[in-house]
Amino acid sequence: MAKGAFLGEFEHTVLLALIRLGEGAYGAPIRQEIEVQTGRSPAIGAVHATLARLERKGLVRSWIGAPTPERGGKAKRHFKVEPLGLEAVRQARTALERLQSGLAIRARFA
Amino acid sequence: MKPPLVPRALVAAVATQSDYECLAGDLCEEYSQRVESFGAAAADRWYWSQALRSVPTLLVLSRSDDSLVDSLKIGALVVATLVATILVGALANGALDSFFNGSYAPLWLHFAASWSIVLLAGYALAYLARRRSVRLAIGAALFFVAAFAIPSALGLSGRIYPLAWLLLLGTIPAMTAGASLGHVLRRL
Repeated sequence: MAKGAFLGEFEHTVLLALIRLGEGAYGAPIRQEIEVQTGRSPAIGAVHATLARLERKGLVRSWIGAPTPERGGKAKRHFKVEPLGLEAVRQARTALERLQSGLAIRARFA
Repeated sequence: MKPPLVPRALVAAVATQSDYECLAGDLCEEYSQRVESFGAAAADRWYWSQALRSVPTLLVLSRSDDSLVDSLKIGALVVATLVATILVGALANGALDSFFNGSYAPLWLHFAASWSIVLLAGYALAYLARRRSVRLAIGAALFFVAAFAIPSALGLSGRIYPLAWLLLLGTIPAMTAGASLGHVLRRL
């Protein structure tokens, strides 16, 4: 597999949050979902940078929505996971499961 | 209720045009939710933290989709701005000396005039270039310094004296400040 096809840890987190939220999710809910599910509060700039990188890799697709008043008249950038993105998550999960299987410290992961 | 001005300006200064719109909207939306849930002071602290922590990634993030023609246009614009700055600077400094009836105007006045002109050039660049203007201004100012410093170092032009170095190096923060000001005022 090419190096660019592997997911970094935060890329993996952002992709999973996007999958959980479904098609059309955007920056703020993705950031909040990561915070709720992991207890980690990422910077919105880091979320946007990661989404931009995932889009360059062809793992997600984005489109600009209409501006809304509660956002100060600013538009949203909506995201959708591409089949390649789902495949990358599947491969990352398989790789992690393989690495964890048979470890003596397995109980710690339970 | 609007988020605090300074961190908003900070985000506006470092984000690219395409990123700023969505990023500022996301921050604004979550800020409003936090004002309702936790109060204005906690929401302000959250906004400050988000803005400060986002700066490094925003500085390196670039959704560059410029074509070659766009890049050439921006390059020509930067060169034209620098040439205009040098010409206006020379005219202004000449006018200052003539105002003092042939004797030299005080040095601080020359410094103030030169840096003000460079600051205005940065401000103009932010309005003309529109995208990535702060980075363009930093690049233009470095080019400006190199255009004087390199020929001097190679012995192709006269030596640059310490005060002239101060004047020359001062153009970097002056042009950056002008471009940041123009960039932020255009967006806020």
